[in-house]
Amino acid sequence: RCWQNRRARLLCMLALTFLFFVVEVAVSRVTSSLAMLSDSFHMLSDVMALVVALVAVRFAQRTRATKKNTFGWVRAEVMGALVNAVFLTALCFTILLEAIERFTEPHEIQQPLVVIAVGVAGLIINLLGLCLFNHHGVGGHGHAHGHGHSHGGRQQHPRGGPKPEQPPGDGEAALNRDETSTLVENSSSSNGVSQEKLGDMKDDLSDVQVNGNAGHYPLDEEEVEEDSSAQLNMRGVFLHVFGDALGSVIVVVNALLFYGLWNPCPEDGPCYNPCVNDHCMENVTLFRALGSTNKSEQDGITVAGPCWLLYLDPVLCLIMVCILLYTTYPLLRESALILLQTVPKQIDVHSLNSKLRTLEGVEAIHELHIWQLAGSRIIGTAHIKCPDPSTYMMVAKRIKEIFHDEGIHATTIQPEFASVGSESGRGKCEFPCRTQCALKQCCGAGEASTAKKTEKSSSLSISCSEVVIEFPKTRRTKSESIPSVKLEANADQNEQFESSL
Amino acid sequence: MLPLSIKDDEYKPPRLNLLRKVSGWFRSILADKTSRNLFSFLCLNLSFAFVELLYGIWSNSLGLISDSFHMFFDCTALLAGLAASVISKWRSNDAFSYGYVRAEVLAGFVNGLFLIFTAFFIFSEGVERALEPPDVHHERLLPVSILGFIVNLIGIFVFQHGGHGHSHSSGHEHSHSLFNGGLSHGHNHRDHGHSHEHKHSHGHTHGHGHGHSHGQDYCHDDHSLEVMAGSSKQILQGVFLHIVADTLGSIGVIISAILMQNYGLMIADPICSMLIALLIGVSIVPLLKESIGILMQRTPPSLENALPQCYQRVQQLQGVYSLHDPHFWTLCTDVYIGTLKLLVAPDADGRWILSQTHNIFTQAGVRQLYIQIDVAAM
Repeated sequence: RCWQNRRARLLCMLALTFLFFVVEVAVSRVTSSLAMLSDSFHMLSDVMALVVALVAVRFAQRTRATKKNTFGWVRAEVMGALVNAVFLTALCFTILLEAIERFTEPHEIQQPLVVIAVGVAGLIINLLGLCLFNHHGVGGHGHAHGHGHSHGGRQQHPRGGPKPEQPPGDGEAALNRDETSTLVENSSSSNGVSQEKLGDMKDDLSDVQVNGNAGHYPLDEEEVEEDSSAQLNMRGVFLHVFGDALGSVIVVVNALLFYGLWNPCPEDGPCYNPCVNDHCMENVTLFRALGSTNKSEQDGITVAGPCWLLYLDPVLCLIMVCILLYTTYPLLRESALILLQTVPKQIDVHSLNSKLRTLEGVEAIHELHIWQLAGSRIIGTAHIKCPDPSTYMMVAKRIKEIFHDEGIHATTIQPEFASVGSESGRGKCEFPCRTQCALKQCCGAGEASTAKKTEKSSSLSISCSEVVIEFPKTRRTKSESIPSVKLEANADQNEQFESSL
Repeated sequence: MLPLSIKDDEYKPPRLNLLRKVSGWFRSILADKTSRNLFSFLCLNLSFAFVELLYGIWSNSLGLISDSFHMFFDCTALLAGLAASVISKWRSNDAFSYGYVRAEVLAGFVNGLFLIFTAFFIFSEGVERALEPPDVHHERLLPVSILGFIVNLIGIFVFQHGGHGHSHSSGHEHSHSLFNGGLSHGHNHRDHGHSHEHKHSHGHTHGHGHGHSHGQDYCHDDHSLEVMAGSSKQILQGVFLHIVADTLGSIGVIISAILMQNYGLMIADPICSMLIALLIGVSIVPLLKESIGILMQRTPPSLENALPQCYQRVQQLQGVYSLHDPHFWTLCTDVYIGTLKLLVAPDADGRWILSQTHNIFTQAGVRQLYIQIDVAAM
């Protein structure tokens, strides 16, 4: 079982790579080969990537809420993935520049045999790493897929032990219990601000269990941990090792070809190397060649081997860079999107909206925000406008259920009660975020007011706070926005530009 | 009858749309003062890099060529900053309910990472050169580094003008150096980096930019940064740091070149690069800490003291039994979002509690708040 453990694998690979780094440095000192030294620094960057991934895994296991980090450290893995992706990109640029340099000034490999030996050793280590992480990277566990069905799965087999009276309306009862247990636990805590017990992180585990039971199922927790954020992290490491493996392959291939085909200049005797711009030697040998009338002397001049060999290295490097960039880009994009607080792909905000609005008692929905904390932990918040508190109480559970069905387990719903005397079904957002947001677009734009670019916009009125969440006539997911808030006295928007993502 | 129109807006050919988009970006860049400055500085850098490249090709100096590549690498950092300033203004949409404002934090973080990476490479190159000192050719070094120094000075003046006013309340150095603080990517590699013609055996890269941004040095300059609309202040700060770092790097390179020329201290070169790398590393750390904090949804440091008092006040409201599950995090600079749950008595006035709570937290600086009201079962 420990072999399945991510940490064990990372540590193992880390130890191997570090050892190899030390070996390479030693060899480079012995053979005084600078190429080897540079390669060893590449290894060191590999070590750094592994360290980053390891740190991320360690942090991410601390899912408890702390004072400073109320969500726990769960995002660490996404960050680890991003860091690795960025490093890989930077590494690619470095290699690119090196390759270009070698184009302009090619140089031959000294002591190809040693290079081959070290290259093969590196390749073996990298292949081993690939095996280690590949198995993981492809998602060894079944529930590594997004919350969608794992959630469903959990609801079906109630894991909560002492809850014999599970009514068919499982979700609802569970929610009830969830809330009451929460409440109960809280009233007993001294200052009422208990952060430890109720990390929102528990929500998705405990939606069929009472909070207290979560501890009984450490296995579940660990399995659930292996979710997409962990995968992201491991993918980062995998890509790094993959890049290194490619590098080793190139080194070995290059050295082999060099060893086989290169016709080096012998130490003694005149030698003409047409590939390298060594003006000094060139002039000397040419002079001698021209100056001597003796044919036999002319034949004695050796010409260093086929020049194209020297250009093989940079060409292969360029190919490698292209491959790496191509494979790194998706990882970079995915982790960056999570960090940008995007709505997870599997959630359709419009349908969620429509479901919520069709509930009885719900007049309007504002400021619906859904974002992914990490992996399958999705957090949703909204303001829901209801006519009065009692309706709200009725509707609250249903609302939560709808969210839970979508897989959003940590929700905070703020009720808003219509002001006395307002009849309009779509009233104002009672607690909108204020002008600060206008500058920063954080609340969702008041695109209603700038009607120029929004020929597709379906929002109605302007200045003061229109709630409107209507259905757009055409489903254009790009430029529609959920007009959530707008309470701006001055409908002064900075230029707003459509996104092109 | 259906109206037939020849010109139908919906059917614009895709090419024009792209053009419109790009021109939209340009307008966005030019609209804001900071991004305008950033853009012009980027152009300046790019042109300098091109000039260097052409000169290097013409005079067949490998040092200059690779140096110009370093500058291009450097320009990508500036480009990232510019891109982020454009992106963060986009409207929110289906996929991004908060809009794209986090782009600047992310860009700052990525820039910081690039910087660490370059510091690492400078260090490694310094080590390599210390072990095997190559031939150093000085002739082209001094003019290039002096030219670079001048470019940087221009940058300093440009961005110094951009920000005037009082310093930001929370810790001048790094509270706003989030975004592009990471840009202190060194231009100076151009000078330093190829202070030698390569020998064949030393085909190494440059992946470095040297520039150092010292914590202490730019402190004085920071006070002049205005508290503008959050994002531009950050970007400005970052670029300023970048330029100051470059300038100092230039000075360092000039000094080491002089040392080498006059006193033949070859060891000055690698030691210089190692020191610069260390300085970059050290100065980046606070920046990274801050952006990591934001990206990890950490409670905003500036609210840490105010929050417990707010909790107290909320709990003293009539009808509120307890407050639990508070989560406060930073969306982008100065924009805080919070969620919490209140347990209230059945007969409490929900509206009043909600509005009071909103007021309390608005005073603390949190404007987007989601308060869930759970009514205690009797």
